[in-house]
Order: sequence, then C-alpha cells, then structure tokens
Amino acid sequence: MTDSIRDRLKAPAGHGEQSGGGDTAQSSLTTNDFVQTDSRSSHGPEQTVPAAVPAVVPADVHPRDPKAVQRAERLVAALFLLAVVGVVGFVVSFILVPFDFGDEGFEYYTPALGFFMALALTGVGAGAVVWAKTLMVDNEVIAERHDLASDPQERAETAALIKQGYEETGLPRRSMLRNSMLLGAGALALLPLPFLKDLGKTKNLTEQMAKTGWRPGSKLLDELGRPVKLGDLEIGSVRSVFPDVPGGRRMADSAALMIRMQPELLKSPESRKDWAVDGHIVYSVICTHLGCPVKLYEQQTHHLFCPCHQSIFDATNSAKVLFGPAARNLPQLAIAVDEEGYFVAQGDFNEPVGPSYWERDDSYPDKVGT
Amino acid sequence: MPKTQRSRRSRFSSYAALLLALTLVGGLYSAFGASKVKAEDGANQSIAVKEGRQLYLQGCSTCHGLNAEGGAGGPSLIGVGSSSVIFQVSSGRMPLANAAPQAPRKKAKYGAAQTQQLAAYIQSLGGGPELPSGRLDDGDLVLGGDLFRTNCASCHNFAGRGGALTRSKYAPALTESEADEIYAAMQTGPENMPRFTDNQLTPDEKRAIVRYVRYVTQEAKQPGGAGLGQYGPVPEGLAVFLIGMGLLIVVTLWIGARA
Repeated sequence: MTDSIRDRLKAPAGHGEQSGGGDTAQSSLTTNDFVQTDSRSSHGPEQTVPAAVPAVVPADVHPRDPKAVQRAERLVAALFLLAVVGVVGFVVSFILVPFDFGDEGFEYYTPALGFFMALALTGVGAGAVVWAKTLMVDNEVIAERHDLASDPQERAETAALIKQGYEETGLPRRSMLRNSMLLGAGALALLPLPFLKDLGKTKNLTEQMAKTGWRPGSKLLDELGRPVKLGDLEIGSVRSVFPDVPGGRRMADSAALMIRMQPELLKSPESRKDWAVDGHIVYSVICTHLGCPVKLYEQQTHHLFCPCHQSIFDATNSAKVLFGPAARNLPQLAIAVDEEGYFVAQGDFNEPVGPSYWERDDSYPDKVGT
Repeated sequence: MPKTQRSRRSRFSSYAALLLALTLVGGLYSAFGASKVKAEDGANQSIAVKEGRQLYLQGCSTCHGLNAEGGAGGPSLIGVGSSSVIFQVSSGRMPLANAAPQAPRKKAKYGAAQTQQLAAYIQSLGGGPELPSGRLDDGDLVLGGDLFRTNCASCHNFAGRGGALTRSKYAPALTESEADEIYAAMQTGPENMPRFTDNQLTPDEKRAIVRYVRYVTQEAKQPGGAGLGQYGPVPEGLAVFLIGMGLLIVVTLWIGARA
C-alpha cells in the first residue's frame, strides 16, 4: 500500500473545547495524542486510522468578548465600504476631472485615479486581513500530502481508454492515413526554419551598419531644416546638423555636431587637414561606447562629454578619447563649402558610427589611434 | 463709542493724506520728469557709464584690470558686451567669491540699477552683444520646447534642471534664472557654454527658448502629482522602490504579526 508510509495523526479528544483563556491559552494536546506510525513497521493490519481527515487542533476563537467581536465586525464592514467609496471616487474622477494636457486642473487626474484605486484595493485587502486576524478561527491544521501517482486501477482504466480511442480512429489499420499524417506534422515543424536566416551573415551588412545618410555634396541642415552656411557660427558656437537627404533629420545614425573654434587649435593629422573649414569641424554625436548622444560640448576645454558613462572626447584632436569607457574616436565628417557659402559634406563619416559590433571592419582609412 | 469713531476717522484720514501726497508726487513727476528724462537720455547714459566706472574700479578692477584689459585674476572685458555683465552680475556669479572650476550662482551683490550702470560702462569700452529691448519671455512656447530639446537639453536637462559636465563642472539648473539672464547666456556663452549667435537662433527663437525655460521651471504643472525634481525615471524608480517596498514590508509584518 503506497499510503502506508504516511504519518498519521489522530483527531485529538479535546476537539471543540472552549478554553476561554485568551490568545495565550495552552493547547490541551499532549504528545500522547499523536499516534505516529513508523513507515517501516506499519505494513500490518493494525493501521486503522483513515488518512483523509486532517487533524484539527482545538479551535481558539478570538476575541471572545462579544463587544470586541462586534467592534471588529464593524471595522471590517467599514473597510469594505471604504472600497466602495474608492470605486465610486475612481469612476467620478474618471468622468469629471479634466485629463487633456493644459486643461484647468489636469494635474489632479492621475493622482486622483491613483488615490481612489488605492483606496478601493486597500479597503478590500485590509478588510480581509482584519477579518482573518480578529474574527476567524485561529488554529493550526495539518493537511497531509497525498501521493502524486494515481492508484494502479485508475491508471489501468485510463490506459485502456486511450488505447480504445486509438483503436477507434482506425489508425492501426489504416497505415496510409497514419504515415501521411506524420509526414504533414513533420513538415509543419520545419515551417519556422526560414526565420533563422536572419541569424546568418547578412549580405549588405556594410550598407546597413557602416553607412549613414551623409552623401557627397549633401548640405548640413540644422534641426529646423535650414542649411548652415559659413559665418552662422562664431568661435565657441555649436550646431546640431543633419544630412540634406529625404528623412535626414530623422536618421538617428546621421546626427552630427558642428563646432567652431580657433583654427590654430585644431590638431588634425595630415590626412584630415582639409576635413575642417576655418575652424568648423563636424563629429558624429553617437558615442562609440554604447550609442548615447555626445552633445555636451565645453567651449573652453573643447571637450565633448557623454552623459551616460562619462566618456570624454577631445574636439581639437580628432575627437580622441581622453577618458571613459569609449574605445574609439568619434567618427568625423569631412566638410567643405560650396560656391554659395553653404557647408556640404565631402562624403560619409570616416568610419562606422556608434558602438562596436561583431562584423565591424576595423581597418578604416584615416584611422587615428586612441 | 464716540471715542472709537473719532480715532478710526483720524486713522483713515492719515492714510488718505498719504495716498493723496503719493499721487500728487507721482503725477507731478510723470508730468514734468518724463520729458526731462527723454531729453537727457544721452546724458543719463554717460552718467550711467561714469557711475558704472566707479563701481567697476571698486568691485572688479582688482582682477579685470583698471581699464578692463584683463589681469592675472580675470580675463579682459573689452568687447564682451553689456549682455555678459547682465548675466554674470545679476546671477551673482561675479564678483567671484573664490577660484573654483566654475562660478556658482549666488545672491547678486549689485542691485538692478547698479548692474545696468556696470553694463553700460563695459558696453562703452568695446561694444559686444546687447540685450534687445522689450519683453524677452513672450516667445512661442512650442517652438521654444523644440529648440530647447535640440540645443540645450543635452546639458541642462529637458526640464532645465541642469546636469554634470567633466571635472567638477556642471550645467546649472535654470530654475532661478531670470529671462534676461537666459537670453544673455545664449548670446554670450558664459564659461563652458557654447554661444548661440543670432544667425543660429534668431532673436525670436531665443525668446521662444526663454519662454519655454520659464514655463517648464516656473509654471508647468505635474500631471503625475509630483515632479520629483524632474530628473527623469531614475529618481521616480527610486521613490517607488523605497516608498513602495517600505510600505509592502510594513504591511507584510502587520499581516504576519500575531493578532
């Protein structure tokens, strides 16, 4: 018998006794009331107590003072009514409080909803807890675990039922049906396989990851779409610039910052000599660490500062990393001035913008060591 | 009773006399004084320059030099413009209290009139950016928000609450900044702040930005009930975590406690 290993508890004789001694009342149970059968010696027929009934320790209803009971009852009822108030308040403020931004009193909308919802939830929850703590029977009940496995007869019956169902479908006899079904189900399992293709190597990866919206000759637009021209910036000025291509101002990877400083401060290497115009220099604002916008420019120190992880780039020296977790310079955009005096890009950034990625080609020309 | 009435009447009559006298003086001044001021505007300007020079020699020349040519302690002020003086002096940054990575905002040492005199003196030396006349904080709020978020928010926070820069420097909070200080800061680029010329941000766009800053720091209401300094989701999460978890722990202890 599988259930013979269970420990048994005999229902104690003192069940239902009113001790009347308050919370500190001693249980009338003694250790003798527990009839424990040892699992290794309980295979005999002496086992008589049915396992289904859990043992009940004597009930200890509290508080016993009828007045206290009444008080507790009223408190619980009041808490439940508070929940009703909360619900009514929620609905009323949902209808009455203006919620359109800028309307008179709109700033009370969310707090009012939150307050009344909290009132409703707290009312129900606190009522239930107070009820359980003050009015309900406070005793300990031991409920035995039962075996996970069903008993053998039940298992045999279920197996027979399944087998019968299988026979009735006719599958054991109709082998063509069965085999074609297996084939169809197997084919279905292959259906998601094409989705794995994106995990493989992408053909035009360079186009997707390493190129931005900047094209040779595209004008530099400010955030309102006005082309930036020579003379707009004074020394110590900066300008956010975007490529003059369709949707250019929405291209997150193309955002750049134009800085103007004294031309003699620029320490560009020979290969970058003609990338800046009269102290105007343009860098990508996408941090090479994790892609935050590096637009905090200090016009006295010429530092570009990333607010996320405190990387500092030297704007006078090809945006070299001075400090912080960034591993590479900010990419630079070579610029020129067209015949009308507007700034134009000579091409794309000198290297892919933003954080590193697995397939990043690390051998870009004009690379300046950090 | 008659005594009380009499005393009340006499109290009122003294107020009335004061009011009458003030009205009279004010009326006389506006009748005769105004035209005089207009006529002597140029003269007043040169008086302001003279007064400003006196203030300058007493308060500023130790560092900036007797003729604002610059010295060991401070840069030349020739050509920085009256705008720069308005920003530095009325925000209390100048006179500098002690050498630090950055001049902090503090209580202004000079009143508005003295600041104007100092500004007039510095402007007389070599020109430079000047504040436009008229209201500065009546620009387009929506445009100002757009421009602020593109040009200013990276350092000053989207709600003008400021933020850290490199090596102990910081972009200050704009919560106490007056309209003329905000406008002057954009014009002159104090300390490490970049300058925004009128070719970049037109006077109307600068006014729009001033309007937005004033709105977001002074007038904007909090749809969530409390702004928590408007530093963004981090303090909000922290508040929810500390208050919410604290409450949950208290409630759990209460539920688990023996009745």
